[in-house]
Amino acid sequence: MAADPIDTSAESARDYPPELARLPPGRHGLPREFVVHNQRERLIAGLAEAIAEEGFAGTTIGDITRHAAVSRRTFYEHFSSKDECFVAAYDTVMATLSERIGGAFGEVGDWAHAVRAGIAAMLGFLASEPNLARLCMVEALVAGPVVVERYDAAIQSLVPYFKAGREGRSPEVLARLSPTTEEALVGGMVSLISRRIIAGKTAELESLLPDLVEFTLTPYLGSAEAAKIARGD
Amino acid sequence: MTERIPTRPAPGRHQLSREFITQHQRARIIAALAEETAAQGYRAVTVADIVRRAGIARNTFYDNFSSKEDCFLATQDFAVAEALRRVVESASRVDSWQARVDAGLDAFLQYVASEPELARTCIVEALSAGPAALTRYEESLQAFVPLFRIGRKVSPHGEDLPQTLEEQIIGGIFWIIYQRIILGEAEQVEQLLPELVEFALTPYVGAEAARRATA
Repeated sequence: MAADPIDTSAESARDYPPELARLPPGRHGLPREFVVHNQRERLIAGLAEAIAEEGFAGTTIGDITRHAAVSRRTFYEHFSSKDECFVAAYDTVMATLSERIGGAFGEVGDWAHAVRAGIAAMLGFLASEPNLARLCMVEALVAGPVVVERYDAAIQSLVPYFKAGREGRSPEVLARLSPTTEEALVGGMVSLISRRIIAGKTAELESLLPDLVEFTLTPYLGSAEAAKIARGD
Repeated sequence: MTERIPTRPAPGRHQLSREFITQHQRARIIAALAEETAAQGYRAVTVADIVRRAGIARNTFYDNFSSKEDCFLATQDFAVAEALRRVVESASRVDSWQARVDAGLDAFLQYVASEPELARTCIVEALSAGPAALTRYEESLQAFVPLFRIGRKVSPHGEDLPQTLEEQIIGGIFWIIYQRIILGEAEQVEQLLPELVEFALTPYVGAEAARRATA
């Protein structure tokens, strides 16, 4: 898979002096928290960079070790295969992403505004980390059944944030929500985000915030109120 | 799926046109690919598996397709065209847009339920069958956008609806179906009709009217 045309982070990394190109904080496609403390993290960062350039299928262990600037032997001290390294990378990225979402959601008292904050945090993270966005939303699907299972579970893990919106609603509102409402909302949201990443529009993800908020809040609040919160009123 | 696998032309009866035979061969191969893919997953399937399942010669496969991937993409194209045809045909039998969404989704869910292997191939396996298949999948979702977009005309706030609304609705519907297929419940997806129709109509006409449309 060709590298995301808008994603220039890998390009710009090459302009750095070698030492920085290897570990430029915040510019190598990994968030600052990921700044490499050890070889394992360095390998995970190397994998994310290599995959952004080559796609999962095209990435070799040689590509990973080259980006990570470690030896092949070091790779095998930490991982038995490319797949295993990918799973580690995926879990690391998803842990960060869900922490961001959970943190943002938890900071706001009112449910509807908390949903907005959670979605904003997700879009912000993905837009600022195009390599990781591609890794966890697109490449995860081609990385084999183990990762696909984790991907499915990660998406389903967003369901409770929306289910919380049922609390305290009138019987009329509750009556018009179906058992699959939240699943459909989450699926619609993730599908739109993935499509933008596939289309090379990762940098524009944050502009989807009002659309996603209005779409996901409408079943609970009705369009007018959902649109108001989506606009940030 | 079995009803669409044509029987081999009897030996010595060559009055069938070349075009007819070619189409039958393609249909057989596509059906075989879907069966093998549903059983083993796309990556594990080989051209040999497809050839064996279709009961054709290896050369015949390569007369029709250049590779397993080429065959997979053709399978997606076939299924999307067929799904759209069924949806449009069913929707055109009723008048209001709300009734068309209901009829169209009904036809779509019936198609999924009646062709669980093809559905798994095109809705689940397509996501992990490589970049070209994924792009094809995205395009196929896009093909349904205009059918929903008409709802903006019947909506009291059609002008103000989010630009990406249709993509989200379709993505949500496919995600629900994806989950059911993964759980091995493709044949029961028709039960989802009322809630999916309501889900699709609510942003346009409000929850009350959406519920009435499914009643």
